[in-house]
Amino acid sequence: MQELVLNQPVSTAGSELVREAAQADARREFEERLAECGPLAYRVARGVLRNTADAEDVAQEALIRAYKSFDRLRDRNRFRGWLVRISFRLALDRLRSAKRREQRDTLWSQPENLPPPATAEDVAASSQFQAHLDRALEELPEKLRLVLLLSAMDGYTIEEIAAMVGVPIGTVKSRIFIARKKLAEKLRCYANSIRTR
Amino acid sequence: MLCEQYKNALIEAAASGAAPSGELRVHLAACACCRVAFDEEQSLFAGIDSGLHAVANAEVPPSLVPCVRTQLDEAVSPRFRWVQSLVFASAGVALVFTAFLLTWPRHTTPENLAKQDSTPSLTATAKKESPEYVSPESAQTTAKRMSHPLSPRKSTNLRIVSSSNPEVLVPPDEREAFARLVAVLNEHSDVAASLLAKAPQKDAVVTADPLQIPDIEIKPLEGTETSDGGEKR
Repeated sequence: MQELVLNQPVSTAGSELVREAAQADARREFEERLAECGPLAYRVARGVLRNTADAEDVAQEALIRAYKSFDRLRDRNRFRGWLVRISFRLALDRLRSAKRREQRDTLWSQPENLPPPATAEDVAASSQFQAHLDRALEELPEKLRLVLLLSAMDGYTIEEIAAMVGVPIGTVKSRIFIARKKLAEKLRCYANSIRTR
Repeated sequence: MLCEQYKNALIEAAASGAAPSGELRVHLAACACCRVAFDEEQSLFAGIDSGLHAVANAEVPPSLVPCVRTQLDEAVSPRFRWVQSLVFASAGVALVFTAFLLTWPRHTTPENLAKQDSTPSLTATAKKESPEYVSPESAQTTAKRMSHPLSPRKSTNLRIVSSSNPEVLVPPDEREAFARLVAVLNEHSDVAASLLAKAPQKDAVVTADPLQIPDIEIKPLEGTETSDGGEKR
């Protein structure tokens, strides 16, 4: 009993030191990944939200959440996919909030609120096409949307996307193909109407 | 009707970005209408791809990573902030307690005054008559109490010294009697000296009477004893 009493503070201090060292290691490792994965989280959020400020907020929140749970991630090589899913999920949650939806619907129902067209008709048509593309993207199923966004980003191969999303390569390819076809179906009428002007 | 047959193949070819397969390629070479439709599909998918590229490769704000680092620091620091606040709170409590001790008014009841007045005179009398008696503790107390008791700084010292000694609670009547005794001793210093003089050591020899033990009556046990000392029943 006496030995236990004498040894207890020493072991507590030792475990405290070990814990602090582990935290420092985790922080260092996370910092190394932050420079690479920060932009990825932002772009995923931006692809869903199409708003710079909201996307930055979501990316920050996703990175902080990822850091807080970083020590629970067994396979650190899967960090990128993990972060992508966190960011995508948070962005969807934010997009679904009633206030945002109301604001967005208001903007879209009032064409005069859109940015004023540039001088060239083609540029105006292009910006409107982008708005319709954004809308069509939002209507895509989540799993198709995430894969399509990742495939549109620079620097990621199909294999890397498959590793991030956690599905086979063939599934990634088929999802990209289906997603593009769905977008084309939604945008075809609008594209034809632009051409017939 | 014939063109409608190739519609899906045409769209899929445009969606995949691959060159049209053999039969479709032959039909596109022959049908200008389908060729136009195929060009439109290709331009549609090109527009979708360029739009997606613009969406997916937005410029990252330079403040993103520094903001995240700041938030990481804030996420780590609450434990230390808690320790800091604990340290500050403890220091504050210690300061308040010290200030309370320093500013607490001393009890200046007649009993205390009598105690303060009587003790130095008694000790001084003893010191006069038998200097070897004075112990260091009483000398310290005397030295402190002989100084002016109304000076705030000195009264603080006195309080500190007296607080280190246990205070004995004495009933008022006994205190009065003790005060009278002290007054008598002050008047008759020889009595005080005899009371405080060291008692002569006696070389007393301790003697002890021898222990008286009455005779014990031993009765034999019932039964017969065997030859090897065991008892047989």
